[in-house]
Amino acid sequence: MQEKNKTRRKVLIGLTSAVGLSGVPFAATPFIAAWNPSAKAKAVGAPVTIDVSKMMYGQQIQVAWRKQPVFIIRHTEDSLKNLQTVLPKLSDPNSDNIEEPYKNISPTRSTSNEYSVLTGVCTHLGCSPKYYPEVEPKSWDSNWVGGFFCPCHGSMFDIVGRVYKGVPAPTNLVVPPHKFEGSILTIGEDGGTA
Amino acid sequence: MSEMASKVFNWVNTRLPIVNTFERHLSKHPVPKKVNFWYLFGALASVVLIIQIVTGIWLIMPYSNTEEGAFASIEYIMRDVDYGWVIRYMHTTGASMFFAVVYMHMFRGLLYGSYQKPRELVWIFGCTIYLVMMAEGFLGYVLPYGQMSYWGAQVIISLFGAIPYIGESLELWVRGDYYISGITVSRFFALHVVALPLVLIALVFLHLVALHEVGAGNPEGVDIEKHVDDDGVPLDSIPFFPYKVLNALVGIGVFMTVFAIIMFFFPEGGGYFIEMANFQEANPLVTPEHIAPVWYYAPYYTMLRAIPDPLGGLIIMGAAVAIFFVVPWLDQSKVASIRYKGIYSKIAIALFGISFLTLGYLGTVSVTETRKLISIICTVMYFAFFLLMPIYTKFEKTLEVPERL
Amino acid sequence: MKRIILTSLLFFCFAELNAAEGGPCKDYGECDQFKPALNDIASLQSGASVFLNYCYGCHSLKFSRWNRVAADLEIPESLFFENLVFDSTIKPGDLMVGSMPSDSANWFGVEPPDLTLVTRYKGDDWVYSYLRAYYEDSSKVYGVNNLVYPGTAMPNVLEKLQGNQILSCKDVPVLASNGGEKRDEYGNTITKQKCGYLKVKDGTGELSKEEFDSMIYDLTNFLVYVGEPARADRERIGWYVVFFFIIFTALSALLYREYAKDYH
Repeated sequence: MQEKNKTRRKVLIGLTSAVGLSGVPFAATPFIAAWNPSAKAKAVGAPVTIDVSKMMYGQQIQVAWRKQPVFIIRHTEDSLKNLQTVLPKLSDPNSDNIEEPYKNISPTRSTSNEYSVLTGVCTHLGCSPKYYPEVEPKSWDSNWVGGFFCPCHGSMFDIVGRVYKGVPAPTNLVVPPHKFEGSILTIGEDGGTA
Repeated sequence: MSEMASKVFNWVNTRLPIVNTFERHLSKHPVPKKVNFWYLFGALASVVLIIQIVTGIWLIMPYSNTEEGAFASIEYIMRDVDYGWVIRYMHTTGASMFFAVVYMHMFRGLLYGSYQKPRELVWIFGCTIYLVMMAEGFLGYVLPYGQMSYWGAQVIISLFGAIPYIGESLELWVRGDYYISGITVSRFFALHVVALPLVLIALVFLHLVALHEVGAGNPEGVDIEKHVDDDGVPLDSIPFFPYKVLNALVGIGVFMTVFAIIMFFFPEGGGYFIEMANFQEANPLVTPEHIAPVWYYAPYYTMLRAIPDPLGGLIIMGAAVAIFFVVPWLDQSKVASIRYKGIYSKIAIALFGISFLTLGYLGTVSVTETRKLISIICTVMYFAFFLLMPIYTKFEKTLEVPERL
Repeated sequence: MKRIILTSLLFFCFAELNAAEGGPCKDYGECDQFKPALNDIASLQSGASVFLNYCYGCHSLKFSRWNRVAADLEIPESLFFENLVFDSTIKPGDLMVGSMPSDSANWFGVEPPDLTLVTRYKGDDWVYSYLRAYYEDSSKVYGVNNLVYPGTAMPNVLEKLQGNQILSCKDVPVLASNGGEKRDEYGNTITKQKCGYLKVKDGTGELSKEEFDSMIYDLTNFLVYVGEPARADRERIGWYVVFFFIIFTALSALLYREYAKDYH
């Protein structure tokens, strides 16, 4: 009798706590989900479109997508050819260490042969690198062949955003999802798979 | 590893009374072994308090305390924030349930004489909690800045205007504007989310400390401290853990079922929990056709309306709440529980209950001549319950209270 | 005895208290009951289409987003934007802020109200009755008046569909004091003329009465949805939550009773 009672208590405690505890994740769900980007944030962060045909060769412009700077660079043929010369300085020239969305499509790393589309956020600590296209000695590199330099901690990237060896930034600049429809560039939406 | 843990625990425990406090107030705290469902509402009130604090914190995040943004931010919560509607409805339902539970808790006190010696302070802290809750509820209701928020606040703030001499300037000072504007909402927001919750939590703490000092009562009104075992533990008591906890768990289960039914199927509570007019943004130029307070203020609102003079109404309304504080000294009975009190006490409390409910109902409907008359009768009945208490409790015949529970 | 006194007192109070108040539907009498069907996607879709074609020209749904409506109504976004959105500059995530210029108050004397929450502050019964209670009244600017909302500033934009509705009279039986119909000495029912009935002139509308009522049903249903887009979810999730707490309560009651044996 005594023994039977004890088992009954144990079983009931187990069941009640199991049911009670199983409710916890469900109760927590609304509170966790409420921190997701809201419909408003998603609407503000919707894809942006821009006509890039008016850009000059060698020019870099910056657009905001999700309130983040996105760099668009229209390369000259020369500068694309120069991409070979900088190879020895790069730490990950083929973007093998990151998830590259448009790998091996074009040397620009984008889906276009002429434009690069890069998230303008340094992969080190989130500063925004600056574009220095000139091939000339700079204070940070006497053999500068053009690219991005981050003023915060001195990370260097080439003109398609690939990171140099021996700088604080660990990986190449990220290529955001984008698609080209003629000269209309949409950032934030992937044309290839959709 | 466990040796290390126990070492750390001991180090802390010699500097902080963890074990002592835990045993004294939770695990070994003695409670009467025989109580009824009326004694669950205290535990339920603390459950709702926790719900209100957590959902409140989450609602602060997307809410906008500006004149232009307040109303829209509520709809933002209801639509654009993932599961925002769950959190908001939990908070609005919680507000109504808080009052429902506290009204039951207070009525329990009146029924079983929970305010009697030595529990006067427990009662007074409780009454203060109720008072702060009323302010908290009112301030919170203004925040969505709907039509009912606006006009409800307009009426309540106008009450200050009834105070002689300083009234009008006080009104202006509270609003900080010539109408209930963004700055008023912003002030009420600060009070609602920071100032009053701090006071409320402090009061709840005091309420519980005072209660644990004198021990919980029981529906028989028996003093269980009279018969104790060798360790000084009352013979008619059970330890809080696990017995009282398990008892409360059942109550919480039933309560949460009711809570969920309201929240998921009747969140507007038929227009009593969220009034229809509050789905319209505040418009200082158009008064809604029918102004009614939320149900939990309705009894007092009816008293206010029954008195033709605003100052008189304000005084009556204030007195109706204030009178709870002196109940421990109004009750002259030798016994605590209604079970052993005489017929007069029983009739009095029944009439009080009826008048309170009727006043509550009247507060939610429009005024007619008959209704006004009934309001006045009920107001008189309400006050008679308290003011005649010294007489009917002293001179009625009471029954003998048993020694043991 | 005490009980009887109490109940009769309560009864007296509430009977007295419930003296009739003017209903929300005014001259229409009792509002027609509306029972929303938020899981009837077809009805919601047709309601949305009616709203965007006939109402959205003047009324906004400014707390609602286009893509949310498309998703909740299970309409593919491309189809939705092609057929129901008449402004190509609108982005999917935009709020439905309306297509009226900001000086529109001058046209009707009042600004057409935003309708996102109309079913919540007026009630779905009211909306459903209101939209069907227009009648011809030459004394008004637009030649129409409304039984539910006398003096309404809104013209009857659905008149073509509904037809010309007029106030008509009909003979109704006179009730005797015992509740039965009053009869004359030959046994015929005595009737009197009663007015204020809504009637559509035959053949003036494109839709039959049933078709028109069902269209207004869909429209109201859509407005109920827009008033609280999470409502269908809410009621669905509610069942699980209530079920959970019932199980929990039952188990904890068993546990409590088991432990209560220790001290009973």
